[in-house]
Amino acid sequence: MEFAIISTLNGVTYGLLLFMVSAGLTLIFGMMGVLNFAHASFYMLGAYIAYAVSSIFGFWVGIAVAPIIVGLIGMAVERFLLPRVHAHGHAHELLLTFGLALIIEELIKLFFGDFPVNYQMPGGMRFSAFSIFGADYPFYRIFIGGVAAVMFTALWVLLTRTRTGIVVRAAERLPAMAEALGHNIPMVFMFVFGTGAALAGLAGAVAGAFYPTNPNMGIELGVIVFVVVVVGGLGSLKGSLVASLLIGLFSSFAVGLDWSLASLMGLVGLGDWARSLGGLMTLKLSSISATIPFALMLIVLLVRPAGLMGERN
Amino acid sequence: MRRIVIIAAMSATALSTTALHAEPLKIGIIESLSGAQTSTGRLYANAVKYGVERINEAGGFNGEPVVVTEYDNAGGAPDAADKFRKAVADGVDIIFQGASSAIAGQLTEDVRKHNIRNPGKEVIFINLGGDAMELTGQKCQFYHFRYTATAPMRVNAMVSAMKEAGDLGTKVYSINQNYSWGQDMQAAVAAGAQAGGYKVVDEVLHDVNKIQDFAPFVARIKSAAPDTVFTGNWSNDLLLLMKAVGDAGLDVTFATAFLDQPGNIANAGKTALGHYIANNYDNAATDGKFAETYKKATGHYPIFVEGHSAFALGALQQALSKVNFGGGDINVTKIALALENTTYETPLGPISVRKEDHQTIRPVVVSKVVKNPKYPADGTDMGFETVKIIAGDKAIYPVQDSCRMERPKE
Repeated sequence: MEFAIISTLNGVTYGLLLFMVSAGLTLIFGMMGVLNFAHASFYMLGAYIAYAVSSIFGFWVGIAVAPIIVGLIGMAVERFLLPRVHAHGHAHELLLTFGLALIIEELIKLFFGDFPVNYQMPGGMRFSAFSIFGADYPFYRIFIGGVAAVMFTALWVLLTRTRTGIVVRAAERLPAMAEALGHNIPMVFMFVFGTGAALAGLAGAVAGAFYPTNPNMGIELGVIVFVVVVVGGLGSLKGSLVASLLIGLFSSFAVGLDWSLASLMGLVGLGDWARSLGGLMTLKLSSISATIPFALMLIVLLVRPAGLMGERN
Repeated sequence: MRRIVIIAAMSATALSTTALHAEPLKIGIIESLSGAQTSTGRLYANAVKYGVERINEAGGFNGEPVVVTEYDNAGGAPDAADKFRKAVADGVDIIFQGASSAIAGQLTEDVRKHNIRNPGKEVIFINLGGDAMELTGQKCQFYHFRYTATAPMRVNAMVSAMKEAGDLGTKVYSINQNYSWGQDMQAAVAAGAQAGGYKVVDEVLHDVNKIQDFAPFVARIKSAAPDTVFTGNWSNDLLLLMKAVGDAGLDVTFATAFLDQPGNIANAGKTALGHYIANNYDNAATDGKFAETYKKATGHYPIFVEGHSAFALGALQQALSKVNFGGGDINVTKIALALENTTYETPLGPISVRKEDHQTIRPVVVSKVVKNPKYPADGTDMGFETVKIIAGDKAIYPVQDSCRMERPKE
């Protein structure tokens, strides 16, 4: 029981962090059809800007400023870089953003050095929210989860319940029609991209103080964020949330379970034989926990190629 | 026909003029200078360059300054193999590498094959940080020299020092990365149980630098209730693990191998206090003279791997002083033989090469994170205080049975 409760708690908060980073990516793909490889770099940029700003003006100013600056950078990318390759299709957009990711990473190293920087949460937030089975549960994990929950609700309401949401969705479905009705479509796209980037920046600013802020944080999270978006269904916000939580829970539970193929065989009396084979048979689930998201992606793609909640197209 | 004769004559003259100059010794650094492991690769390269400058200040070698070239392996074995071919084409005699055992494994194999195929044009590989046991075991070969401590050396040193200090306890947890180095650490921790008088309550291997959230592992550690957690983790895997344990408020001591990686102490904050590390070198363990000399040349005290890497160059310098090619062709095998017979005095004690497997017999420093140390780390008020220096002959372990080294014919 203790194991189940703690693993669920850890899994949910980690899942919410994943959602926080992947929300912007989903938004950009869902509304614009652009696969933005530099998304995780925006996340890293958010953390570094928050670090730089907060060392002068304090933690909260850093958290407020980082998404704005990253959002503006995102808008500039959409305005000046993407239109040049848009006519050539998805592959070129992907390559452009991939190059951008490499450039951002090296620029970060140039300005902030190769080592992790000392970006810390304020001392006032470093306390345990509650104690569970003798271990403290850090408040900041709850804070991260809370920010993610607010982010999801805000995006959901914005897209489905407001006029702005209608215009954005119209621009995605029937751009020519929306333009004919007097909406400035390029402007709408620029803002969608900027918002997506800003969300990544916010995620970076919040998570960077909990996880180390280093020049690799983009690459490390980048792959897993793509897995989330693919599993959830490209462009589906709800799908991303479900996929993030699933991945968080799966990896959290896997760590505590020392299951192997050999123990599975043990159920039918072949345990000793399997253990004597060694190799793959005795590979423990905990030692490959970081691989589970990819296995999940494989299964989802085989069963539902469009992802859990994606639309078939 | 006539034109060919002229060209031949011209190239012959060109060749003879170059022969008038002595052949410089060429050193190649094949290191992770871009990509995820840049932070470590850059430090190895710094130290090698520092060492080469010292050699050149003392007059170089073979009548010429030693030439050093950097090759970026981008953190991967395939790139390293590629850059090794490039280095060979540039005429490099000695290669240095430190970040990642996987790359060291690739390079030592490449060097071995190259030397078999090109007798008379051998290349030496000086390994500054590939700790995997197989490099001096299954893969051991004459032209590979390891100038760093391995898992059993670090673990045994830590166990003995922590036991003396009364910080070890009787229940030990072992958490490591699932590849050659982490598996070596796990084996070393298990093997040290008898001598250390502890019990390994649980051991776990996990993916290398892929895990973002260590909270689930902390839950596992908590349920095993250990006194000490042994880990060979480095980079994010160490930092995230330490932070997660600190956040959960668990009272355990960490016994680590790479806690001195820049950024770790600052990021971990107060959580880091009291944790142990066993490594090759620490400024606080010396009289400080080397640290000052290094600072004068590079602008900072030696950090992380810089100290022990500079010692490898010191040993090389000493070996070079024993061979003399009179400005003629450089015989790399002779340099390797001289290096085998070199005992280099460091501020911590002597370093010598064990002939059977080319592992260096070297002192291991065990330190502890304290407040207000002599050399603060990462601009904080915390840093390392030396607990014990284990002399080389005490730290060393027996040669592995799997090592079958073929020596050059003399």
